Amino acid sequence: MATATLQPYRAYSPKPFTKDERGQVTILFGGLHWRAERVLQAVLENLGYRAQVLPVATKEDLLRGREVADIGQCCPTSFTTGNLVNFLRSEAERIGKEEVVRKYVYFTAGSCGACRFGQYHQSYELALRNTGMEAFRMFLMAQNQLDQGAAIGDGLEINLPFTLGAAWAVLCTDVLQNLEYQVRPYEVIPGQTDQVVKESVEYLCEVFRNRPLRGKKWGSLLWHLTTGYFTKALREVHRKFAAVEVDRLRAKPIVKITGEFYLQTVEGDPNHNIHRWLESEGAEIYPAAIAVWLDYLMRLAIQDIEEYVGIDRRARLKVAALKTLQRVYRWQYDRLRHALGGQPPALPDQYELRRLAAPYFHHRLSGGEGDMLVGKALWAYHHKKAHMTCELSPYSCMPNTMSIGAMAGVVGKYPDLLYAPLEIKGDAEVHALSRCQMILTEAKKRAQKEYEEVLERTGLTAERVRGYLDAHPEMKKATYRVRRDGVVGTAANLVLDVARRGGGR
Amino acid sequence: MPRWFARTPSGDPKSRSHLRVGIPRLLNVWSTHQFWWGFLTALGIEGEAIVFSSDTSEDQNRQFGKGRGTVDCCYPVKCGAGHYGELVFGQKRKIDIFFSPMIYTLPSFLRGHVAETLSCPRVMAGPENIKAGFIKEKDVFAENGIRYVSPLVSLGEPLIVPKQLYETLKDVLPGLTLEETRRAVHEGYQTLQDFNERLRAKGREVLEACAREDKPCLLVLARPYHMDPGIGHEIEVDLQVYGYPILWVQYFPVDPDLLGWMFGEDIRAGIVKSPFDISDVWPSSYSSNTNEILWGAKVAARVPWIACVIRLSSYECGMDQPTYTPIQQIVERSGTLFFSFQDLDSTKPAGSVKIRVETIAHYLEKYSTEIIEKKKASMPPGCPLLRDP
Repeated sequence: MATATLQPYRAYSPKPFTKDERGQVTILFGGLHWRAERVLQAVLENLGYRAQVLPVATKEDLLRGREVADIGQCCPTSFTTGNLVNFLRSEAERIGKEEVVRKYVYFTAGSCGACRFGQYHQSYELALRNTGMEAFRMFLMAQNQLDQGAAIGDGLEINLPFTLGAAWAVLCTDVLQNLEYQVRPYEVIPGQTDQVVKESVEYLCEVFRNRPLRGKKWGSLLWHLTTGYFTKALREVHRKFAAVEVDRLRAKPIVKITGEFYLQTVEGDPNHNIHRWLESEGAEIYPAAIAVWLDYLMRLAIQDIEEYVGIDRRARLKVAALKTLQRVYRWQYDRLRHALGGQPPALPDQYELRRLAAPYFHHRLSGGEGDMLVGKALWAYHHKKAHMTCELSPYSCMPNTMSIGAMAGVVGKYPDLLYAPLEIKGDAEVHALSRCQMILTEAKKRAQKEYEEVLERTGLTAERVRGYLDAHPEMKKATYRVRRDGVVGTAANLVLDVARRGGGR
Repeated sequence: MPRWFARTPSGDPKSRSHLRVGIPRLLNVWSTHQFWWGFLTALGIEGEAIVFSSDTSEDQNRQFGKGRGTVDCCYPVKCGAGHYGELVFGQKRKIDIFFSPMIYTLPSFLRGHVAETLSCPRVMAGPENIKAGFIKEKDVFAENGIRYVSPLVSLGEPLIVPKQLYETLKDVLPGLTLEETRRAVHEGYQTLQDFNERLRAKGREVLEACAREDKPCLLVLARPYHMDPGIGHEIEVDLQVYGYPILWVQYFPVDPDLLGWMFGEDIRAGIVKSPFDISDVWPSSYSSNTNEILWGAKVAARVPWIACVIRLSSYECGMDQPTYTPIQQIVERSGTLFFSFQDLDSTKPAGSVKIRVETIAHYLEKYSTEIIEKKKASMPPGCPLLRDP
């Protein structure tokens, strides 16, 4: 038992990353889906930085994370700390520890909310110490500030050109991802969609790498809001998709993915490759757009200020300003999705999500996705956006467990809402997937039944619809927009579309 | 002026005196109960008609909460089903209002010196989660003629609290006005402050006695609800039996003379900005109870007569998990004994607690004199705890 006094404990405080180092130091980052990460890398390169995306986290990273940091941490943190440590270790073997410390810095999102996510500097620090890399520089960026100046040294300037570039990169890849998930389940030639997506991402990287810079403040903002630069690029992506032939007459259940931000966003081991697995099981995915999260952050800020209406004289003005910003943001998203033929759906209205969730989960309860998980499940149900909702909840995620608990009340009131909350902990994959499969089986039955009912209602047969499609090849292109009309499934909607056009008679 | 034009309550507050209000003795109610007491009595609710559920117990959960759980999480939240059930089904005289506040921010003494004073996400959302178990098949509250009221309250932001409480209670309490709510909120804060000051003064007395007699005392670093015998399992009481005074961080004295002596050098050296600043050890200071525990660790490292720190933490506590290493480091680097009881759950592990308590008592007996001397030598002279009263 030690009773000796030592130097007082001090929190990790990395040496700043300075402007002079930009040419030699590579910024590491990760934690999103690969399309967004690749284009974000291009944004950083456009601004003169060296940047590198960390590889997608694997089960080995999970084990490493558990080994070098606290075992009680939530599953995404085990994955991301292990991912960073494994990368640094492999680099250290190649070029030596001192060179790794000199050559790389790591940037990740911080948090200002209630969730312990914002306290994970401690876990990273512990992991670095246990790896013998205490001197490695890691920085947390606030998610709720557009312009953070040079708070962490002047090496990375979190100014408007950076923030706007990152935001547009996320929006463009969000709409691209959505289109991809609408197309791949129905592609006639397997692998064709993946090829087009790969080409499209590379093309977008070029577009963002050559993004014109229009000053550091208002000029940059004005240009991003008014330019046709990104819509033009997405129209080109749309043209690439036109080459993909699809057969949308396969009745497939639509599965809306929701959950904790990291798990719903990444595609790989951290979420049991759930997107690909569901597709292989015959589902069409309604992916979780990062854009919804950014929209939610704006709602959170508005809600905070709304509390002060009637108390602070400027509160109403601030709310109005933020609501305007939110409308502009949604308008920009709409511009981008329309450039892809309007196929990616509009963002759900944040205030509708709030209203739907209100009887079960208070909108001010923050941490994680707050009331959005309850709101999105009800939104998908009421608006017939999906046959089932698959919620990806990390093992020991604090806010997620709360909304899953509140969902007990929702499912009690709407027993036919198909809801599959999956606890993801890296291992126990079979349990998680078989649980999902049980709900998916019911969703498949519903999709098939709905398709047959639509055929019966319209008096059409699959053969007649197919004949009509053969006669109208533009409807077999991935870029054909199937009108959604009161039913959920793509096949059922296509039959209604054909019937509306007088087809098959 | 606003008072002159305020709407006069249509109902005499006395008309509310017949109402019985049930409050689950749960989570952050443990550190704010005096606020709720002062607030509700100021609104005309009789003190005897404010019913708190019992301390947490396995029996309570078996009897009243069985089958009502909705999700597996930490026990302090999960046990809420038993508390809710007891207030609904276990009262001789039925309650009229079930009052379960969702406390968003806390009125911590560290507020203004830290980034935020938020509640844990599970704690603040606990009521929504527990409620789901009582409405999933049928609305148990309505069926029993009970009005369920669960305001979201930012107790750390007094300016908006009257509005938050008024919006929720205006349809529940006859004749309630915003102005009346404001006065009641003020009364609630005053009651809470008086209570906290009384306990802090008592803590100072204990510390002064220890300093006078050069005797050790223990500091408990835990969340407020570990004071619940069913959550913290009275581990500190077992230690008190050995004659060691026990202090809780939540009620540690915050007198300027004492804080100046403890943190003066750090402030002058620019390491911290104030005695309540914890940025030197914990930069992401958002969570209120976490912040107080970190601050308590710093205090324990500086007060010579705190010879031992007892850390209590519940199973699956995500807020505590990132703090394990820093807190242990802060305390142990000062030479203070540190013992941690982690993963506390519903059942008291009586056997292992007994062995550990005996171990702690042994170490205190063997090392406390040495610890006190070493810590005294490392601190500046003029300790205010040693001055004549």
